[in-house]
Amino acid sequence: MVDSPVTLPEGAELASTGGFNAYIGPLYRLPDEEDGAVKRFCFIAAPHHMNASGTVHGGMLMSFIDVSMSRTTRLVTGAQRTATVSLATDFVGPGRLGEVIQSRVRISRKTRSMLFLAAEIFTSERKLAVANGLWKVSEAA
Amino acid sequence: MSMSLLPGYRQTELVDPFEIFIGPVYEIGEGLARRYALPVDARHVNMGGRIHGGALMTFADLSLGQAVWDATGRAAVATTNMQTQFLRAVQIGDVLEVAPQITRHTRTLVFARGDYTVNRELVFTAQSVWKLLGEN
Repeated sequence: MVDSPVTLPEGAELASTGGFNAYIGPLYRLPDEEDGAVKRFCFIAAPHHMNASGTVHGGMLMSFIDVSMSRTTRLVTGAQRTATVSLATDFVGPGRLGEVIQSRVRISRKTRSMLFLAAEIFTSERKLAVANGLWKVSEAA
Repeated sequence: MSMSLLPGYRQTELVDPFEIFIGPVYEIGEGLARRYALPVDARHVNMGGRIHGGALMTFADLSLGQAVWDATGRAAVATTNMQTQFLRAVQIGDVLEVAPQITRHTRTLVFARGDYTVNRELVFTAQSVWKLLGEN
């Protein structure tokens, strides 16, 4: 449990506006780092994100990673339609209720039709997950 | 309404708040032979009506986790690694089905995988490693 009200990191903008993202959210986009090479997102762990043992559910973390990588793919390629091809996630630490959980996403390689992405998920205290994803770009803008 | 699409199935008893939030999920059979089904509804899809990767991966974590529980006598476990492949689009109204498989079970780890189908067509695969908590 948290003693003080949780505040969002500076520059957070709502990123979950419809569909599944809005259902599980709110999820936020944070300002880029490294001249745009790193895209960042966050959410505050809420009661419905948890598992029974009091840590953030792996499904929620993978959902957040999926949103972070999908959004990054659209930002980088300008494509309107993208699709997850594969995602591999290592769960290295627990997330707790009320924590601000952040993602940092980088592009490993970009081809005409595919994007290889790498992400780290963390709080101010510890690393939660590392993930590698492959995304397909259906139509370029 | 979903139950009428799935004759013989019953609702899976879920305890994790995020799984309850994504469910209900249905099952048929007993113990490790249980098969699971998720009727895909408006909450699970993106604006284009296709299932969100997060909803699919949560159903994977949930269904493989049930099998791991069955294999370990409901021991405390945690997902350590999950690898997923998205083979075909899944739409609102589809019913996802899986018969999870325990690939290997050691003193400290359980390996579990699943082939996820819609109308018997393979749409998604997941393989996972689970750690038994409280073991060295």
